[in-house]
Amino acid sequence: MKNGVHISNLAIGYNHKTILENINLESETNKMIALFGRNGQGKSTLLKTISGLLPSINGNFKFEGIDILKLSEKERAKLLSIVSTTQTSIGGITVKDFIAFGRFPYTNWLGINTTKDYQEIDNAITLCKLTNLANRNYDELSDGEKQKVNIARAIAQNTPLIILDEPTVHLDLINKIEVFKLLKELSNNHNKTIIISTHQIEYALQICDEIWLINNAQVNTYSPNTLINENKLSELFDEEIISFDKDSQSFRLK
Amino acid sequence: MKHSQPSKFKYLALLLIISAILFFGLDLFLGSVDIPFKNIFSILFGNATEKESWKIIIFQSRLPKAIAATLCGGALSVCGLQMQTLFRNPLAGPYILGISSGAGLGVAIFVMGLSFLGISSIGFTANSGIIISSILGSFGVLAILLSIINRLKDIMTVLILGIMIGSVITAIIGIIQYFSQDAQLKSFIMWTMGSLSSITSNELMLLAPIVIVGLILSFITSKNLNAYLLGESYAKSLGVNIKQSRIVIILITSVLTGSITAYCGPIGFIGIVIPHLARIISNSSDHRILIPLSILLGINVLLIADIISQLPGLDQSLPINSITSVRGIPFIIWIILKNKKIKNLN
Repeated sequence: MKNGVHISNLAIGYNHKTILENINLESETNKMIALFGRNGQGKSTLLKTISGLLPSINGNFKFEGIDILKLSEKERAKLLSIVSTTQTSIGGITVKDFIAFGRFPYTNWLGINTTKDYQEIDNAITLCKLTNLANRNYDELSDGEKQKVNIARAIAQNTPLIILDEPTVHLDLINKIEVFKLLKELSNNHNKTIIISTHQIEYALQICDEIWLINNAQVNTYSPNTLINENKLSELFDEEIISFDKDSQSFRLK
Repeated sequence: MKHSQPSKFKYLALLLIISAILFFGLDLFLGSVDIPFKNIFSILFGNATEKESWKIIIFQSRLPKAIAATLCGGALSVCGLQMQTLFRNPLAGPYILGISSGAGLGVAIFVMGLSFLGISSIGFTANSGIIISSILGSFGVLAILLSIINRLKDIMTVLILGIMIGSVITAIIGIIQYFSQDAQLKSFIMWTMGSLSSITSNELMLLAPIVIVGLILSFITSKNLNAYLLGESYAKSLGVNIKQSRIVIILITSVLTGSITAYCGPIGFIGIVIPHLARIISNSSDHRILIPLSILLGINVLLIADIISQLPGLDQSLPINSITSVRGIPFIIWIILKNKKIKNLN
């Protein structure tokens, strides 16, 4: 199979200290995939590895048949964009300028934006509903706004694959939901494959098409429904304290 | 990237070019010997002049010094800017990070150390030898800093490390001095005291092309430097080859710092202060604006410093390093206390 996302025999870790190995996952394109797992299980490491930020120990990651990990930074930047938890802080830059960073892989040596680049930037601004903020100073924004601007930057990068590492972690409820809905819109109507790691399990179950679950050093693919019906989520946590209620699709404290 | 910025920047640049020309002229005009202004012009354009000594003063002393100030101001400011972005540290600069000391060590080894091996460092090889050893010295310190910076999360640690490297190097230079012969020791001490005025026009012929090429190359790195503002992960995800661009930036900075330090001695604080001044004035973090602006501001500031160092009425000219420090340090303290945006580079 040539299409879609293929992770085969991937081993990840730092400095040859393997955290997860023998990872085999696959998914179709234009899906929204959520990555679940408890802290310290290797979520970020997995996402960093498939984004090319961290060298893999073994195995490969193919997107639409292209071996992403073998590409140069420059080639990869046109296929894959990232959004991370860490907020960057830059003084003296407007929201629009920040989003314009997304055009970096396409511009000339001096980084001059062409009409097409401005179209992509404006398009990203409209999609993320940031028109009112476009001329504001990036540093003056709230965390939620900054994260949306960051996503807009990834959209302006115009890559078929967007990888997000806990993008909603500092956000309030409304902002969290807005970000999820925006990502869903991107995968549904704008031909984007989204891979997102999150602790927002209850929203992700409602919105995402597929779940990659890391548990006990194993990574497996589930549909949200099988995950709920096979009661996999309760296994994830200490059942003495918390359990997942199938009917309400939410966690219950004990 | 900002639409409104370029026009504002153009006026600013024009203003700074004009003021740089004025200060350059003033720098030629002022000095311990009084030369009438119209004579300076006629001397510069090769016309006859009343006194032959004036011609010598202009061509052998004042003109090389003013050109040295121009090259120095531009180069050190850009080095500071590049290092502040690369190290993500608002207090980074060639002087504080120990890079100037590294250059000093290079020169010390060349001037004093080589005599142990029986190689003479005086004569034909001296000119290019000092420049090369100085560049190698500054490159060494930068390479050490960068190999460590990857393992440290806290940027302040890097700064402390730079200061420590600087002290270690000073100690090593001290040891070399202790063991070296009088003649070599003297020529090294002369170098450390070296100010802008010690440069000869022959040396300028070597320094000027190096600095100009270095500055042009710096401007070419401005796109990558902009991406560094987002942090390394994002820069990488935008297609920047981090390892490669880092080496390029470090090479440019060490060549610039090394060659300037080789001839003018360590000149402090210009490298830290000017980039901040450029950021404040332009309210931008775009290196395509900051690099030319830092060059122009650096030229202006160093020419002013040079003018102050030789104000009429002073029998001897003050060391330029004292002037840049006296003006630079309060500014750095002000940056630390006042500017909350100092964290922006983290």
